[in-house]
Amino acid sequence: MVALEDVAGSLRQKPSDAAHQVPSRASSSYKPLDSFALEKQRSYKQQFGDMYFLRLTKIKPAVDEVAAASWSDTVIAGETAKRVPRVLDVRQGELCWVTGTVYMDMPLKPSILEDVSKDRWISAPISTPKYFSEDGSDQIMLEDESGRIRLVGDMLKTIHVVTGCIIAVMGTENANGELEIIDVKFPDLCPQLERWSLSKPAASNGTKKREAKDEDEDMADAPAKSSGNKKIAIVSGLAFSDSDASHALDLDLLLEYLLGEALSPAAQTDISQISRLIIAGNSISTSDRKLDTAATAADEKKTNKKYGYDASSYNPLPSQLLDSFLAELLPSIPVTLLPGAQDPANASYPQQPIHTAMFPSAREYSKDPSAPASQPGWFDAVTNPWEGEVDGWRVLGTGGQNVDDVFKYVDSDDRLGMMEAMCRWRCCAPTAPDTLWSYPFQDDDPFVMKTCPHLYFVGCQPNFSTKVIQGPDGQEVRLITVPSFTESRELVIVDMETLEVEKVKISAA
Amino acid sequence: MDEHKKFLSDRLLSEERPITYRLLSRALDVHVNTAKEMLYDFHKYQNALRSDSVHATYLVYGTKSSDNAQSNGDVEMTSSIPDHDALSEDAPTTTLTLAREEELKDILADYKQVTAIHVYSLAPHPQKDLCLLSDVSTQLSEYSINEDTTAAAKKYGTIPNTQVRRRNRKGRSNVTALVSKPAKQESMKLESVKQEPTAPKPAFAAKIKQDPFAPKAPASDAKPIKQETSEPSSKNATPSSSAGKKPPALKKGVSGGIMQSFARAAALPPRPKPAPKKEETSMALSDDGEADDSDIPAKKTTSDPEAVRAARKQREDALRRMMEDDDEEEAEASEKDDEPADEEMEEAPEPEPEPEPETKKEEKEPAEVVSSSGDGRRRGKRRVMKKKRILDDQGYMVTIQEPGWESFSEDDAAPPAKKQAVTVTQSQTSSSTPSSSAGKGKKPAGKGQGNIMSFFAKK
Repeated sequence: MVALEDVAGSLRQKPSDAAHQVPSRASSSYKPLDSFALEKQRSYKQQFGDMYFLRLTKIKPAVDEVAAASWSDTVIAGETAKRVPRVLDVRQGELCWVTGTVYMDMPLKPSILEDVSKDRWISAPISTPKYFSEDGSDQIMLEDESGRIRLVGDMLKTIHVVTGCIIAVMGTENANGELEIIDVKFPDLCPQLERWSLSKPAASNGTKKREAKDEDEDMADAPAKSSGNKKIAIVSGLAFSDSDASHALDLDLLLEYLLGEALSPAAQTDISQISRLIIAGNSISTSDRKLDTAATAADEKKTNKKYGYDASSYNPLPSQLLDSFLAELLPSIPVTLLPGAQDPANASYPQQPIHTAMFPSAREYSKDPSAPASQPGWFDAVTNPWEGEVDGWRVLGTGGQNVDDVFKYVDSDDRLGMMEAMCRWRCCAPTAPDTLWSYPFQDDDPFVMKTCPHLYFVGCQPNFSTKVIQGPDGQEVRLITVPSFTESRELVIVDMETLEVEKVKISAA
Repeated sequence: MDEHKKFLSDRLLSEERPITYRLLSRALDVHVNTAKEMLYDFHKYQNALRSDSVHATYLVYGTKSSDNAQSNGDVEMTSSIPDHDALSEDAPTTTLTLAREEELKDILADYKQVTAIHVYSLAPHPQKDLCLLSDVSTQLSEYSINEDTTAAAKKYGTIPNTQVRRRNRKGRSNVTALVSKPAKQESMKLESVKQEPTAPKPAFAAKIKQDPFAPKAPASDAKPIKQETSEPSSKNATPSSSAGKKPPALKKGVSGGIMQSFARAAALPPRPKPAPKKEETSMALSDDGEADDSDIPAKKTTSDPEAVRAARKQREDALRRMMEDDDEEEAEASEKDDEPADEEMEEAPEPEPEPEPETKKEEKEPAEVVSSSGDGRRRGKRRVMKKKRILDDQGYMVTIQEPGWESFSEDDAAPPAKKQAVTVTQSQTSSSTPSSSAGKGKKPAGKGQGNIMSFFAKK
């Protein structure tokens, strides 16, 4: 309960001639990694099978290690579990354990074979709400380069797996040729680097003292005093739109908030600690575009299209709005922009940066081609997923498609759990290339996590949620699902010393 | 009466338009926090004079007392399933609420702690739809166009950032700094530029001479030719308008890079080969996200035609020398483009039956120049018709054909058939659209453009 009278520092007074102190923005130590950048000249002729092979070879040693540690001396009913190198070597009636890639056989899952046989040709990814079927017709298989075996057992009901994750299972093959499993092991979190392993802390206001002792910088025991710490803001789903102006005012308020023009001097000083804005996908709304195509379908014949594309139906306004939003922010705060499912980038994972040509005014702040590679752009359009080091912490972020796709496989709404599972599977997009469109990698599967992030955020999610997960070697990962701004009007603020999360909710009543 | 009161009463009571603190701060050049206080002051003052004559909205920032209050209150989006909270940590939430003054008490009651509150906007009427306020903020752009962002940030209270990095763009010399603003607009709407009556600016004469190519290429004996031919070029630069007037040519020149290179090409038909082509390609495809400012005209034309011609000539020579080496590899590809079958004209500008001295001259010239014929291959350049698309002075895209040179390298036997075809096309063009063939004198178009068009268009 607050009454109007007891609000302090309210700026509800006569104009004073006092000079207003403008706090300067905290500096952002930022080193993006191009782990997910594709070559400009890339071939799409390869098969996808290599990705599974690469993933299995990269993750299998880790799983084997975990499995060997816990199962090597397991004796069940007088029988010792022994390791079987290949799925094909599983013998009926023998207790054994084996490592392989999970393949989910789901009737509701889109299938290219079905599309071809039924002569369906589509160009856009179709969206099924769930692949999971309630009637239990889904089958879980374990496969490697030798073959595939169906997994059964009550154990599977308690865990969630998706296509593409690498697991080790222990069990016996039954008379039906299925593997009755007793236990499952995941590779678990990969090794985590120290803070500031790639970048050097920049000497800056307020954080100097803490950086001096950054060896013992641990998010658990960091001091509670958070107001003076540097922060970053993460937002997603800004959905700039031409037709839907319902959240235009909220976007204005967001802009004024981040610029530090709104609110009182005390709050403005707090806001000046926000050193970077990360936009995690779906900055441009495509909903009105769909309406347009429906409306123009009727008079399509009349319009003389060139290249099968009607230039007159293109609406540049959403991207112009985004551009002016960014151009207004950029003088004050650096921006990292991840593409999302609706953004003008390639549809397949990893999405490549939105071209700066989309931003005629904001690109003034983008990376100077002549600048040294070590200096990232002030306005940094990056890939999705994206990895980087921000204020010393290893950050992994995506526009949300990876979680959305895993979500379809499982009977759960726990998106944090899915993020956690991805970390424990050591794969940030396990369902690529099965149901998550992906580039057919040949030499490397970049979705395999090599180092464990400190902060893992996923954009364009229905709700805000956050938690910290721990790994076996003391790794700690802060997980955040960033809600769509259009839905929730929420901005996520991460304290870059403690990795504590808070959110700012904007409501224009 | 204070200045801000006068301004606000004008704006709110006379014009009856709402205003936000940001707009006020821009309008009166004051800090945003001062503007917030001014709004409050005026609100109090005016309502004391006449109650309910202005209506305020407030921006409230702080923590709400509980989640329940949040979901039961004014906000509808927390209706989402609360069972997520079990899995997720609670995060402290700060809420920024924009409230009408009528509801302010209720909204404040939901708050546990308020960090900041201030007047957000004033309006002459009760504000039913707050979304209208976003229209007010679009008016901000009127004020912020010509401002230096850092100075503006200091003045208005935006949080400044000392580390901000901008791209140091190529071609943004001290010269362009002067003209870059208008230039940007020009490049966005070329046609309007052409209609702008622009007085020739002698001041820019010097700038032309600073052209990077200028020092490399001394004026050669080709200058007289230039002088002859530049007259028709200016005529034809604006095919739909009456020919022969000087002003159109000058106007074109003003728009800089693009137009200048067009005119240049017209002036010297045998020369504009790949050099201008390259340049034009970069203009057409300026969405490469890099160094686009170099496309923006760096210099303006002068009133002194002599100087212009000299400068153009020098540039051309330099460019030609630079590009000569690239020609050979391109030869084969461009030959395909020149298949007569594809040479359909999309829309020719209004024909100008006026005799063209230039065209005649061209025809007299050899259609092929063999520069070397060693090792069983002939190399040289030949005259071909190329298609090119330009914006005419009314803003329409027109496709024209024009003669141009392409270099070639082929086996000893010259293909007579091809040559014939080329000649035919040329004569057709010169008869049917004389203005475009020679007068427009555009450089070769981007290869393949026309072909793809005719391939896809359903005929």
